[in-house]
Amino acid sequence: MSEKQKKLSYLSQEWLDEVIVQIKANLSAEDMKNVSSSMKNVYKNCPDKKIHYLYFKFEKGLLTEALVGTDKDEVVSRSSEFQIHGDYETFALISQAKLGARSALMRNQIKLKGNMVKALRLASVVDRLNKIIATVPTEF
Amino acid sequence: MMDEYSIDHQRRLKRIQQKMEEWNLAVYLGSRLRTLSYVGDVFCPWRSFIIIPQEGEPIIYTFIIDAERVRDESWLDDVRGFGPLGGGHQLDVLTDAITDCLTGGKAKIGVELGLSNYLPEGYLTTEEYNYLTKKLPYAEFINSIDIIDEISMFKESGEINRFRKASEIVDLGHKAVLEGLEIGMTETEIAGLADYAMRKAGSEWAWSFTGGNEIASGYRTSYPMGACTPATRRPIYAGEPLMVDLHAMYKLALGDHAHNYLISPVSRTQKMHAKYFLETITRVLDLYAPGMTPAEIADNIMDWADLRGFAQYLVPGFEHGIGLMGDEWRIGMNDGPLPYWTNPDHIYKENMMLICAMQYMAPEDHVGFRYEGPIVITKKGCEVLPKTPLEVTVLS
Repeated sequence: MSEKQKKLSYLSQEWLDEVIVQIKANLSAEDMKNVSSSMKNVYKNCPDKKIHYLYFKFEKGLLTEALVGTDKDEVVSRSSEFQIHGDYETFALISQAKLGARSALMRNQIKLKGNMVKALRLASVVDRLNKIIATVPTEF
Repeated sequence: MMDEYSIDHQRRLKRIQQKMEEWNLAVYLGSRLRTLSYVGDVFCPWRSFIIIPQEGEPIIYTFIIDAERVRDESWLDDVRGFGPLGGGHQLDVLTDAITDCLTGGKAKIGVELGLSNYLPEGYLTTEEYNYLTKKLPYAEFINSIDIIDEISMFKESGEINRFRKASEIVDLGHKAVLEGLEIGMTETEIAGLADYAMRKAGSEWAWSFTGGNEIASGYRTSYPMGACTPATRRPIYAGEPLMVDLHAMYKLALGDHAHNYLISPVSRTQKMHAKYFLETITRVLDLYAPGMTPAEIADNIMDWADLRGFAQYLVPGFEHGIGLMGDEWRIGMNDGPLPYWTNPDHIYKENMMLICAMQYMAPEDHVGFRYEGPIVITKKGCEVLPKTPLEVTVLS
């Protein structure tokens, strides 16, 4: 998708579809350190007052599942190795690669549930993922 | 792999969980160093917690920089780190872990509250307690230290063997001091001399918070009522007493043994004090047996020493508690007349352990001696684990 194309609404299905395309095109298993894991972001204080979720699952470094939605959608039922809770505004900054996930964690701007040791080891991989997400023209 | 030092962790855990059931506890939050050592069988030098559920295996939480090492060394698989990260703060992770063990938020939670003269005891701090009670308003918090204290009072064979090994190591430390000691060496050098030998023999740490190996020379051996002498840069001189109190750790079991020297020329007064010391410690060790109490032993010794005219040279207490790392000072349960101190009427029973400790000091003569040694109460008496002789060694 080029810069001239229309911006996609953040956390919409269309936006996620494009994120998946970009990840598959630009993130190799090696880039992702062959990681097998899953994470679910829980967005609070969203503009529409709903709680939103964004879920990624990687197996051996390759994206195998990605879901987005609200309380009524399939994404809610997905269990994940890591759950990250934060405000919409904070996640929006992370998704634009304006704020690093590790930096947000250290400032208590997002809260992580899961194995902290593994999470910190994966922080650079997550930042790499967010940099890819940031390439998708997005309307926040 | 099972060996002579093995501990039946599952049996130990089951006994704790049975006690929890008797107390109607949904979860036990351990924060004392002794509890981490006793249940996790791993050294946790950073602030750590252990969540023991009513059923299933416990979770250890420790500072994130040490979590993987603790996991590697503990028999428990679930060791998690906390740290200064959103969601990773110790109070957040503890709240989550405890909540997972509760049904509908209503339950009794065992916690470890108290006070101690022992610095690294690890009771829950006021800040930790206030936070948890605020976050879990429907739960009832019960001070449950008695559960661990009662079970850990009696040592199993693998644990006693660890203590035997730690004492063997301390004996090697004393041997190294005897072989390497020279006039003019400083107390810190002597501490290092012993520590090197003990490390070579497998000691994990000169574990005492009193400065590791305690060395006192000259007048420093005789502080009135003093029994704490971190090594200093003071050199040793001819004609002085020297006290060497060594600490080694083997699989969390603690070696603790003090041996005494007189460096020639030895005065008649010094010889007299050395004789009194030897007579007293010999008598003290003879008294330890099932049925005896700290008060009975103290009364016996002090009355006996008073008749012989040297009671004023003795600290009127002859023991302190010992267990795996973090379990020091108080003997037995917290059921004495002075809260959290040893009950003077605690009755010794077979397979209990303690440090037989005796401090003899004559400040006016600048001479003092110390004895410390782990002992196991046996059927009819006690087993003294260190084998270094009791006699004051005279060095020419």
